[in-house]
Amino acid sequence: MFKNYFKIAWRNLQKNKLYTFVNITGLTVGIVSCILIGLYVSEELSYDKFHDKADRIARVTMQYTDGTTINRAALTGTKVGPQFRRTFPAITAFARTVQYSPVVSVGDKTFNETHFLYADSAFFSIFTFPLLKGNPATVLAAPNQVVLTETMAKKYFGESDPIGKTLKVNNGKDYTITGIARDAPENSQIRFNFVASFSSMRVSREEIWWTANYVTYLLLPHPQDLTPLQRQITAYMQTDPVRYETGAGAKLTYFLEPLTWVHLHSTLDGLEPNGNITYIYILSAVAVLILLIACVNYTNLATAQAQGRTGEISIRKVLGAGKGQLFRQYLGESLMLTVIALLLAVFISIQLLPLFNQIANKSLSSASLLQPLPILSLLLLGLLVSLLAGAYPALVLSNIRLMSILRSGFRLSSSGGNLRKSLIVLQFVISVFLMISTMVILQQLSFIQNKKLGYDKDHVLVLPASEEIHEKYDAVKAAIRQVPQVINTGGASGTPTYVEWTDGLSATTETGQKNFTVKAIPCDADFVKTLGMQIIAGSNFNAADMHMLDTTDNNKNFRYTFILNESAVKALGWTPQQAIGKTVEKYYPGIVRAVVKDFHFSSMHEAIGPLILFQDTQWVSRMYIKVSGKDLPGTIARLQSIWKEYAPHYPFEYHFLDEDYNTLYKTETRTGELFGVFSLTAILLACLGLFALAAYTTAQRTKEIGIRKVLGASLASLVGMLSKDFLRLVAIASLIALPMSWWAMNRWLQGFVYHITLSWWMFATVILLALFIALATVSFQAIRAGLANPVKSLRSE
Amino acid sequence: MIDLKRISKWVNVGGKPNFILKDINLQINEGEFVSIMGPSGSGKSSLLNIIGMLDDASEGEYYFLSQAVHTLKEKQRSQLYKQYIGFVFQAYHLIDELTVYENIETPLIYQNIKGSERQAMVADILDRFQIVGKKDLFPTQLSGGQQQLVGIARALIGKPKLLLADEPTGNLNSRQGEEIMDLFKQLNNEGVTIIQVTHSEKNAGYGSRIINLLDGRIDNN
Repeated sequence: MFKNYFKIAWRNLQKNKLYTFVNITGLTVGIVSCILIGLYVSEELSYDKFHDKADRIARVTMQYTDGTTINRAALTGTKVGPQFRRTFPAITAFARTVQYSPVVSVGDKTFNETHFLYADSAFFSIFTFPLLKGNPATVLAAPNQVVLTETMAKKYFGESDPIGKTLKVNNGKDYTITGIARDAPENSQIRFNFVASFSSMRVSREEIWWTANYVTYLLLPHPQDLTPLQRQITAYMQTDPVRYETGAGAKLTYFLEPLTWVHLHSTLDGLEPNGNITYIYILSAVAVLILLIACVNYTNLATAQAQGRTGEISIRKVLGAGKGQLFRQYLGESLMLTVIALLLAVFISIQLLPLFNQIANKSLSSASLLQPLPILSLLLLGLLVSLLAGAYPALVLSNIRLMSILRSGFRLSSSGGNLRKSLIVLQFVISVFLMISTMVILQQLSFIQNKKLGYDKDHVLVLPASEEIHEKYDAVKAAIRQVPQVINTGGASGTPTYVEWTDGLSATTETGQKNFTVKAIPCDADFVKTLGMQIIAGSNFNAADMHMLDTTDNNKNFRYTFILNESAVKALGWTPQQAIGKTVEKYYPGIVRAVVKDFHFSSMHEAIGPLILFQDTQWVSRMYIKVSGKDLPGTIARLQSIWKEYAPHYPFEYHFLDEDYNTLYKTETRTGELFGVFSLTAILLACLGLFALAAYTTAQRTKEIGIRKVLGASLASLVGMLSKDFLRLVAIASLIALPMSWWAMNRWLQGFVYHITLSWWMFATVILLALFIALATVSFQAIRAGLANPVKSLRSE
Repeated sequence: MIDLKRISKWVNVGGKPNFILKDINLQINEGEFVSIMGPSGSGKSSLLNIIGMLDDASEGEYYFLSQAVHTLKEKQRSQLYKQYIGFVFQAYHLIDELTVYENIETPLIYQNIKGSERQAMVADILDRFQIVGKKDLFPTQLSGGQQQLVGIARALIGKPKLLLADEPTGNLNSRQGEEIMDLFKQLNNEGVTIIQVTHSEKNAGYGSRIINLLDGRIDNN
């Protein structure tokens, strides 16, 4: 019996090519979306779960306030780990971690490395990073020990055994290799190429609360110990001795985050950037919506097509087929289509994976798809889809009254038509919603892209400044200026696109003592000019002022020179002009030389706060070089030879400042791209369904069209008549999608302090576009029908 | 075999009943070859549909092989006609997507007959109707007469006691029509009860009894 079912299903598919094409394409695309998003989501959800003790590990975050602002970070001072371990019995072990990007050399092999981690000795016993060689308990026990990953071992030592050998870090200290670890998995908030013992660092000798640069992890005996421990820590930080130690003015406290919670729920990045649970929800919803659109296509087409199959069904009934048998037959057809689509989808997904990885910035592999669990869920998905899409048409078809066959001109009841209409509306609500969202996201991204930042990020080369550069700082700068295409050059610590240096600023003003947290940029005298920042009062740093950084006599006469931004001046209660020449303190006192116009030094999610620039070249970590943009290869070659000369022990690497800027909005750009891809998919699928449905409706009305033509109807009026119904549905869908997308996008934009305002034209454009696409789709069929010779259609009746 | 008592059938048009069949009393015995005649709209096909259990009467009693059909549920009724009745249509009503072989086989599938047995039965009837060579063709590849032959083969595959034919030769030329009627005669001689609806006096002549319908009533026997 099944053979018979499948045979007729197969022949039906072959006979109705358009129908088959639309359905298989739709279902395939829907399932591909589900597979790709499913892989993405399951990878995000699996973060950090591979540790055996994952549920017993907590990350410590710090919160401190100066009275006006509350600052939070997933960083702690060196004291937190050991002090908490001594104080609270509920902590079995701790590991402080910090990561650098040093230069590593073994013999004559020298590379710039990233993910060079320093960690306490308990690191390998807290986390499940299996060691291929070495004892987890002792590999980090002593200073100057390092564990390599398999990949790094191969890179530096090839096939020979690296254990006991040494590697040199930043052309300084030698580290003895004590272990080889398997490469850290992708779904880990801790990734490393090297792990060196924390005790190798000078800072480890002293325990301090402040200078928070370290991510601290704690191991607890049981998962449920976390909540009581949190209470104990909060209480402990309030005790007098601790408050005395941490400074009376500042309130310092710590919070615990369960390890597996961090990646998707924490707002604080640690060693690696976090994901975002909201985007996980959104993506999952998008996958489901696209699948829904594909299912709707199937349901709509199958019920529309039922018209043409009443004959076959009735004959089967006359021949003795029961309702159940018919129902199973038609469900079998949808199952068959789904299976075909499923196989195609798996194949296509595997082909698309590299592209998807690029967009989503992941390294998912098809191997993770071909596991028992994903295969099982795919089969379940297939079953669900064929039921979802096929059950209703099967029900309609198996319930057709037997007598229908014997009457000519039979038409299906219009109730199926209403369902079809509702489903079309549903499809277009989804499509229009996704289109509007894409539109708004892209608008916001281009707003960020083109926003006047208050400095010029274009044509600025960024080069690393090592201590070798520091030694001959002025000579290097002079050499750079000799390069023909160089307009100016200056150095600073960190990047102006995202200033991380946090400091305290205090001053005695007319309105009393002021004391608050500021962001700070240590820089040289030319930095402000090189980046084109606008000085609105006073005058730029003077290189001669450097002598004021007087470290003799225990820093007694140490004086800074400062440039404040507008916000900082405002916070002090001054006008820019008033501020010039005043003395403020950033631990050491200094004179305000100038006031710079506010510029964006963090992402658009945050408002511009107070910022202070101070002249101190010993902190300069990067050289900024403004170039004309002409003859870039030549310019870069000249710079490279300068670096070769002055910093021979460091690899030469450069990038452009706008790249730094763009990385700030990686998540948003990615979201925009993903939304773009999926909303395009959604609208294409919806139109495909509309196209096929229009084909059927038009075919049903062939006779009516013929009669109207004979009676003198024009082509335009016929097209209007045939398109009107569909366009009305799309219009209704747009009206429903409008408030939904307005609400959703408004919420999304609220996440930015600097954002576009939603305006009517964005919605109008998308709705007009949707109407236009629908009209183009439907009128193709309508025009074809309208152009047909009426004699033909009337004769065939 | 068939006993119709006071069978009426009507549809409501504008709230008033519009009679298609009125007060039909009819007995048909096993082995008869009955022809139903009458002008268009006289209710011939409706009567045949009611006898074939494809449609309900609005009123009256219907006994088939002593079973009260009018009291049966749809499922039981379908069980009954599946077993005892074969249908032949004017427009053949073959399933276009199935081959000759598969069309003939379909009723057996719905009677849950095993595969090997089905094969034997279909081969048998193909042989008998001399259409073995056409078994893999699709209906559209056959002439009208050949299609009707397949239709009859399909109706007979389940070995029905009663064959109902609604203008079986209506779409055929006279030579093809004659062949079909000869076949019916032969089947009747083998013991199959046949009821046919026809317009043609000549075809009616093949039967043993003629029932004339006029405006939903039996005119004379």
